[in-house]
Amino acid sequence: MAETEDGFKKNLRKFWYKALKATIKGILFYIFYFVLWSFLAPVADVIPGLQLMIETFVIIYIILMIIGELASGTIFQYFFNGAKALFVICYLILSLNGGIFGVTFQNISLSIDLRLFLTIAILLSLLGFAKSVLQAVNYLNERTEYTRF
Amino acid sequence: MIGIATTFFWIFLIAFAASAFYSIKDLQFDFGDPQVSVTPENKLLLSMPITITNVGYYNIGFFNVTTEISDEEGFTIIRGSTLVPIIKKGDTVITAHNMTIDVNDLLQNHQNFLFNDTEVRINEMIGMRIAEVIPVQASTNFSEPWGAPLYNFALGEIEYSAYNLTHLRAIVPLSFENHALFDLTGNIQMRMYNSTDSLLGEGQTTIDAAQNSPYNGYIELYVPSAGITANGRFEVDFITPFFNIGPLVIPYG
Repeated sequence: MAETEDGFKKNLRKFWYKALKATIKGILFYIFYFVLWSFLAPVADVIPGLQLMIETFVIIYIILMIIGELASGTIFQYFFNGAKALFVICYLILSLNGGIFGVTFQNISLSIDLRLFLTIAILLSLLGFAKSVLQAVNYLNERTEYTRF
Repeated sequence: MIGIATTFFWIFLIAFAASAFYSIKDLQFDFGDPQVSVTPENKLLLSMPITITNVGYYNIGFFNVTTEISDEEGFTIIRGSTLVPIIKKGDTVITAHNMTIDVNDLLQNHQNFLFNDTEVRINEMIGMRIAEVIPVQASTNFSEPWGAPLYNFALGEIEYSAYNLTHLRAIVPLSFENHALFDLTGNIQMRMYNSTDSLLGEGQTTIDAAQNSPYNGYIELYVPSAGITANGRFEVDFITPFFNIGPLVIPYG
């Protein structure tokens, strides 16, 4: 009975630790976004919808990050990390319209070629995705070995 | 290790992109009023002074301004481009966007521009590379009025008077308004033919019509009284420093 209570307390402490870590990560990410936004604010006046686009991205990214962090120590952590990387790739491709970002206001059309930025971002995300897959394989490997012993 | 490296690259990429776009606000463009002048080859020179001040964080590469002027049907009349290869941070660059219009070529191909006020379409494109790597392009189009140099050109009623036993003096009044961007000087030559296509006589006059002013004058011809018919035609040539057009056939009678 005392052993079960001890295990429960240990698990609760573990969960609070994960929750704290996820909260700190989320706050840090939000601060990063906040600082970044102060730089992008002048551009947002020119490009309508930019703020909504970035905010949606930040919200989904933070949610995936928090869930991934809460699921740490399980195989789901790697699933969520992989999902995060894939989400970044898909969201960037869709929102940046394949790298050529165009906007028209009044009689002026503005186009920004972000293909270089997008390519680098996709490569970095793919690296993150590959890392998650390898970590998941490694996790399963370690668990199999542990079960055998 | 990969995680740290990836995070580092992400931070670098995002910070670079954000600061590059942020520095656009420290880029100042000043487009002066377009000036019209005449080159020694009697071509029209449209010149627009541009001042670019870059107080952003990065250099600006391949700054270019392209202007395309086309007629109402979309046929390109002229296209001019100005390129500044690099604008270093903290620098101010003063340049001029020049375009030369060969009025003779233009009017030979579009006689509509000679006699009728119309509109031309102007496509303006401005491109640059922010931090020398991110290409940005802005474009707009608008219409501008075109003033015809010989707007409302018309010949009046021929007035005959006796000159000698065989010839009459024919006075042909002519009028037009110069709506063009330039003062019009030169010669108008005229040949008069009767209904049997015989050349009756020829004459010429000099013209001097300032910008946006009407011109009223006449051409004097000496024609054989025996050859005059009730109807016929005039052939008119316009010889000016900007264009040589003709013959323009105008029937009379």
